[in-house]
Amino acid sequence: MNELTRVPPPPCEEVDDAETAVVALVGRPNVGKSSLYNLLTGASARVGNFPGITVDVLEAEVELDGLSTRIVDLPGVYSIEGQADPHSDEGHSRRYLDSLKSSETPHLIAQVLDCTQLAMGLRLTLELRRRGVPLVVLASQHDVLRAHGSELDGKALADGLGVPVLVLSAREPGVKQRLDTFLADGLRARATPPDDAVDVEKLAASVTVPLVESAGRRLHPKRRTERLDALFLHPVLAPFLFVGLMVLLFASVFLVAAPVTAGIDAVNRWLGARCELMLGPGLFTSLVVDGVLGGAGTVLSFLPQIVVLTIAMELIEASGYLARGTFIVDRVLRVVGLEGRSFVPLLTAHACAVPAIQSARIIRDPGQRLRTILVLPLMTCSARIPTYGLLVASFFGDRGALFKGALFVGLYAAGAVSGFIASLVLGRTVKRAAHSMRLVLEMPAYRRPQPRVVLRVGFLAATRFVRDVGSVILIASVVLWALLTVPGPGHEQARGLAPPDASPRVLAMHGSVAAFVGRSLEPVMRPAGFDWRINVGLIGSMGTRELMVGTLGVIFGIEGDDDVAPLADRLRDAKTATGARAYGVPTALALMAFFVLACQCTSTVAAVRRETRSWRWPVFVLGYTYLGAYVAAVLVFQLSRLVGLQ
Amino acid sequence: MMTLATLEVGTTAPVRALRLPEREATWLRAVGLYEGIQVTPLRFAPLGGPVHLRTSTGAELAIDLDLARAVDVGGGP
Repeated sequence: MNELTRVPPPPCEEVDDAETAVVALVGRPNVGKSSLYNLLTGASARVGNFPGITVDVLEAEVELDGLSTRIVDLPGVYSIEGQADPHSDEGHSRRYLDSLKSSETPHLIAQVLDCTQLAMGLRLTLELRRRGVPLVVLASQHDVLRAHGSELDGKALADGLGVPVLVLSAREPGVKQRLDTFLADGLRARATPPDDAVDVEKLAASVTVPLVESAGRRLHPKRRTERLDALFLHPVLAPFLFVGLMVLLFASVFLVAAPVTAGIDAVNRWLGARCELMLGPGLFTSLVVDGVLGGAGTVLSFLPQIVVLTIAMELIEASGYLARGTFIVDRVLRVVGLEGRSFVPLLTAHACAVPAIQSARIIRDPGQRLRTILVLPLMTCSARIPTYGLLVASFFGDRGALFKGALFVGLYAAGAVSGFIASLVLGRTVKRAAHSMRLVLEMPAYRRPQPRVVLRVGFLAATRFVRDVGSVILIASVVLWALLTVPGPGHEQARGLAPPDASPRVLAMHGSVAAFVGRSLEPVMRPAGFDWRINVGLIGSMGTRELMVGTLGVIFGIEGDDDVAPLADRLRDAKTATGARAYGVPTALALMAFFVLACQCTSTVAAVRRETRSWRWPVFVLGYTYLGAYVAAVLVFQLSRLVGLQ
Repeated sequence: MMTLATLEVGTTAPVRALRLPEREATWLRAVGLYEGIQVTPLRFAPLGGPVHLRTSTGAELAIDLDLARAVDVGGGP
């Protein structure tokens, strides 16, 4: 019953085996298109449990049963006939389908259907049939339907639709070969589907048959979802559980990962000490120890935080809780001019703003989508973690783990609150939503996250971070080390600017090009408590936030001479030219405030440009976040001193 | 007139009409809430938040309360 089922195709022109054909995977959101795309192509497209997780058109070339084929995974669409904003995820899919229809490339639409939501998917099938393009149906998630106690009669469905149907589960053995053969046959036939009237609900009911052997199975997934929803959407408990989960998520970033970070940092410092011993004093040793290990090596020690955050967020999304969070916060977000669907990019931005800006395509209202994009850079992305981690360890290191965890959570909350305030202000000044599209969201069933997928996501985050550290951050650290070594204008007066006990190497740094630039900014930045060293860090981190820690690592590596103390200790004990303590808690809080608000990320700016198709909005984002960051830093520094913080 | 927003939790009724601008009505139908389908509210979010409902096709949806007020349900006028 669930084997490959075909409808005899009418004759059509042959596919030229040398020509690359296109198979476009189309379907409603969250039906498993990306899982099938990964299966067909061996790729690792993001697979989630939230409607609309694929917001971009993904493509890969494969060989299907001897046919050279480009597999295309399109963002989910509910309908291809109603109106859709061209910049939404649906708009992207429709544009692609239109271009495919008018192209001369041999192509096939493969509609992915969720067996458990057959009637809904069949409405889209009828729309696709009306387009008159070659069509096949992949009825997926059959294992879930069987767990529900039913199965699908694929042959009856194919007969009812007049379209070839393959019933499958992405995880069943041998499915890849069946899928390849089925699609290759579909491409060779490229049968034009009929356009007769079909009652989709009757058809769905007639082809879904009860499974006799279902007695005694494990807990029905629907019952499990009902039970979990009774808890996670409880009218009283739900908001507390939501806040608790968010606190746990962000506290875990600090509490779970901090010991591993300390270990990596210790290894890094041990390596530095060994290099100094083996190479002896000199410029090359300084380059390796201060430039490479002090800069890029220090940033690398924050790898565990990035991985813990990524895995925790993947667990939330893959489990199906993301949709529940959207349900809970919709009302709150509407107060600040956003909507429930904004929750997805807002949460994603806590890992990285770039994919979050792209995922804002799931917001159908153009005004709300733009407003969400404009506030996303304020969410606490993982690139801020190294700086926060360093400042917490430096200036609050003697406090208990709970205090430090709470401070970390507070920083995340500060980012979110800043975003909400910005949204309110933007709504009144810059962009009013012309016509708000109100929340309509499919609630997916809870699923147990697959450990293999979760670990792969964590591994990918780790490799991306290591690659960044090994490329951009390493190069920037070396360049910065050079700028801190090359004498700048007025270097002869360096002795008067450095601490009294400064060594020749430290004196040279105080007279360097970088120090000159940093000092030039001191009149402006001094009200925020920032001296030339922090100014150099801020300049260095304008394109990439992580470079703040790398820059400070290089500066205090040189300043520390042979001292192998952790960077956090060197930062805390830093001295001014008079020998006084350079930084205290007010400076740390001011720097945190600056980092909460400033959009120090060229990739984010480029993403805003790409999604808004204008330079006006990225320039606006840079302007308002940097201005806000400066004002906040000055206010926090001055107020902290006023209340007596040291 | 009974609407989806006033239908009691756990009560099932057919959707009679969508009193919405065509654009939103089309979108709602495409997502799975259309005339004739049976709906059962499962819960309402606090403070005027969305309604969580199940349709006779087995789909579960969260819908803004204002939208739910524009969805007429029930058998009679």
